[in-house]
Order: sequence, then structure tokens, then C-alpha cells
Amino acid sequence: MLIPANSAPSSELKARPGPFVPAVISIRNREPTAMTLLLDIVTTAAILFIVSAGLLAIFGVLEIVNFAHGAWLTVGAYCAVVTGGLGLNPWLALPLAFVTGAVLGGVTERLIVRPLYARPLDAILATWGLGIVIGQLITLWFGRDVQFTENLLSGTIHVFGANYSLYRIFALAAAAVIGLGFAFLMEGTRLGLSARAIIMNEPLARALGLDTSKIRLVTFMIGTGLTALAGVLLTPLTSVDPTMGVAWLIGSFMLVMVAGSSFGALAIACLVFGGAQVLVSTFISPILGGITVAVLSALVLRISSKGFARV
Amino acid sequence: MFDSAETGAKLALDGVSSGYGTIAIIRDLSLSIRKGEIFALMGKNGMGKTTLLKTILGLVSARAGHILLDGRSIVSASPKDLIKSGMGYAPQEQPLFTDLSIRDNLRLAVPSDRTLEAALEHVFGHFPFLRDRLGQKAGTLSGGEQKMLILSRALMLKPDLILIDEISEGLQPTVIAQIAKALKAEQSERGTTILLVEQNLNFALEVADRWAVLKLGEIDDRGVTDASSRERILEHLKI
Repeated sequence: MLIPANSAPSSELKARPGPFVPAVISIRNREPTAMTLLLDIVTTAAILFIVSAGLLAIFGVLEIVNFAHGAWLTVGAYCAVVTGGLGLNPWLALPLAFVTGAVLGGVTERLIVRPLYARPLDAILATWGLGIVIGQLITLWFGRDVQFTENLLSGTIHVFGANYSLYRIFALAAAAVIGLGFAFLMEGTRLGLSARAIIMNEPLARALGLDTSKIRLVTFMIGTGLTALAGVLLTPLTSVDPTMGVAWLIGSFMLVMVAGSSFGALAIACLVFGGAQVLVSTFISPILGGITVAVLSALVLRISSKGFARV
Repeated sequence: MFDSAETGAKLALDGVSSGYGTIAIIRDLSLSIRKGEIFALMGKNGMGKTTLLKTILGLVSARAGHILLDGRSIVSASPKDLIKSGMGYAPQEQPLFTDLSIRDNLRLAVPSDRTLEAALEHVFGHFPFLRDRLGQKAGTLSGGEQKMLILSRALMLKPDLILIDEISEGLQPTVIAQIAKALKAEQSERGTTILLVEQNLNFALEVADRWAVLKLGEIDDRGVTDASSRERILEHLKI
């Protein structure tokens, strides 16, 4: 089993996975100020966005719900474990995870998902099964024990009168980079234009000579690469074990269902539901906070089947 | 004269059958279209005209027969390969990405942005109104303008063969005249071959060199466009 050189837990409390969405708010010994509460809300939204972005990329373009999403998160987190175990710079885990996720995602799309595009329910079952297999393979290789990774960033930063976790501020920036990067990819590149054409009208895209198979493959690879990257970014916030991704799967799924195929809608959903999660966790109960995203998503979808997709 | 082995045929179909699921739409159809001619394929609704175009383009698989483009079999070719090899397609059903701009609709027709500006200049020559409205969403164009955009997109790569599906449907005579002018210009200036599926008899006879009438997936009649064509075709199109 690979044990990272520095296995000390991060300076933040490593949150235990809740029933639906792990409550990733900072835990303090004193009452939160308005500023720290505000920062908790936006950084929690950022973390939810990072975790859900890969799932949305795949669902938005391919209309496939990748239920192996949690497994790809776990794969990414274990890339951080491997990087630490080899004594490498912990930041190298980010490109390693993206490449690993993308390559494995490419193989998955080609062998498992591609024959099932016309059978989305079967695709859900197949990817769910794949997630179980990946989890078991990780267990076989690394064991069931919780792993610790070296912090990407530690310490605090002074933000508008509040001392706040530097890493969570970094997560906010990372979410912005991922969101803007994906927006550029979709709006500013030919790949994005082709992907949007496929979302709107795939038969017409094919009739114009677009290589829809290749575009689907690349999109799936980007989605799984992005998800594995998110797995690395989660490691300072949550413990790493073979089932860590499962706790994030349902929350990500609910957020993506609410957001439809829009990254803008996903950002708003993460902000609204993440904010509610922070408030419930802080003022009522962290346990109830863990189910806030799922409950609110179900309520929104009950009221409007399109959720925030029209935003 | 319509033998699939006809010398100089741009497109030749020999005993082609195709359809959807268990339903046969095109039955043992043979047709030859010469290089540089405009060929009008007519027929009532549901006779298989659109299915035939989709079969040629590889969007519907041929179950039997041969399809030859410049003498080479294209039965197993993908739409991507055929577009790349010089085929253009102006579809009738859901023909535009209505939420994309005119520019992006046209951009999707070229494989690389490096060739975009030259291709745009080519279609601006036929339909100058597009030049000033590239940023406008395609769905906000009038019906006639949308049809001109659909045709422009098919012309972007300066194809050797264009398949056009009922482009004149529901259009004013002035717009139809503009489209006819563009098609005749492509034919005379570049020697483009055009397979035109139509229900508008006046438009078809104005531009086509030859014609055929499709009935229940088979060629019911065919001929060279002349003074007798109208009567013959009307006879087949009677309800």
C-alpha cells in the first residue's frame, strides 16, 4: 500500500461523508462572523461546482448520466496518494489525475458507453457497475484504509477582516478557472461549437459531416479528466478511501439534474444549494446540512422539471 | 440512357433498396445523374424522396444495390467521408441550428477556421444579405432567409454534388428566383451537379435539365426537361 511521505491530516477538519453531500464547511471553535459565513457559502459552492463539473460536461453533451462519477473522483484522489507516496510535488497530482481520468474515460467510452448512447437507462446501470468495479480495484491495490495526502496549500489568509483557509480560497479560484475554461472551450473553440451542435441536433450535425463519435469521445475524456482533477482538489477537505466518491455522487447528480446542460445554471445551483447547506449545517445541524442539497434539488425539480436550466 | 453504367455519371444508383426498421421505402431503384446537370426528383409526400437523399448521404443504410460517386462505391461511406469528398447537403427536416448564429451555422460546414473566410466570400456572392447579419441567430431569420442560409451552408465547401431537399417549400416567388439563380450559377460557373428533390413543379422545370418522378420508392417516369414535361409530371402528381 502506498503511504504518502507526509501523512499528517490537513489543518482543516477532514469532513466525514454525509448521507448525500459531504458537509465541506469549515469547522470552527467560535461563532462564525458574517464574513466567514459568506466565505463558507461561496467556497462551498465552488467545491460543489468543481465536483459536479465533469458530470455536467458529460451529461450536457452526451445526455448520459455517468454513474461512475464517484469512482472517477476516487481515482483522482488516489492519484494524489500515489504522488505523495512517490515523494513528488503534490501539485503534480493535478495533471496526473487529469490524464489518468481522461485516458481511462476514453477506454470506458469506447468499450462501455458508446454502444449504450441510445439506451440511457442501460448506460446508467453500466456506469454504476463500472463504478463498483473501479472501487473494488482500488481496494485491491490500496486496501480499505483511509489515506492521507499532503496539503496542496495550508495556512490562512486575511480576507476582508477575517482569517480564512487559504485552500478554500484557492478552491474558489479553481472553480472559476474550471468554469471559465469550460465556457471558453464551449463558446470559443470548434470542439465546443461542434459539441453544442450535437446537443441541439445530432442528426443534422452528422449530415454536415461532423465526426460525432470523435466529439463524444473527446467530451467524455474531458469530463472524466475533469472529475479526476476534482478528486485531487477534494483531498485536503475529505478523507481518501475507496468509497469516498460515492458520497459525492448523489449530490453531484442532483445538482446536474437541476442545472440541465448549462454551466451557468450549475454555478447558480451550487451557490443556492451550497449556501443553504452551509446555513443549515451552521445554525441547525451538520447532519441535516448533508441532505440539504438533495432535498432542495428534489423540491426544485418537483416545481419545475427543467430546474435552473432556463437561467 | 439512365443505365447506372452511363459514361460520365457523377452519381449512379443501381438496384438500391433502403428503409427504416422493417419498412422498405426505396425499392430496387436505379438512377444516373450526369456530371454538371441539375436533376429534379419529384413525387407526392411519402414516396421516399427524402429517404433516397439520406441513403445517398449514408444517413440511412442501403439494404441492397450499389451507389457510385464518380465510379467509386460509396455504399459504406460515412456522411463525414462523403462531405469531405465533395458532397453538399441541404436538408428539409430541422435544417438549422436555430440557437446558433448565422456565422456558426456556416462555420460548421467547413473543417477548419482557416478556410472559413474564403468559403464565406463564396456564399456572400450568392446571398449578400448574410454578410451583415453573421452575428444574428439563425432562428430569427425569415423563412426565405433561412432557406438561403441552408443552401449557403451546403455551398460553403464548393461541392461537386449537392443534394437539396425541397428548398422552395413555402417560399415567395422572389426568394425562389434568388435560389434558382444561385443554383444555375453554381452549375454554369463550377460545373456543379445538383440532385434536387422538389414538389414545386415550376421551380423544378425552370432549373432542371432532367427529371424523374418517384412513386412508392420506385421511379415511375423520367425524362429530359422539355415542353411536354409539365403534362407528364402533373399526370403522376395527381391525387
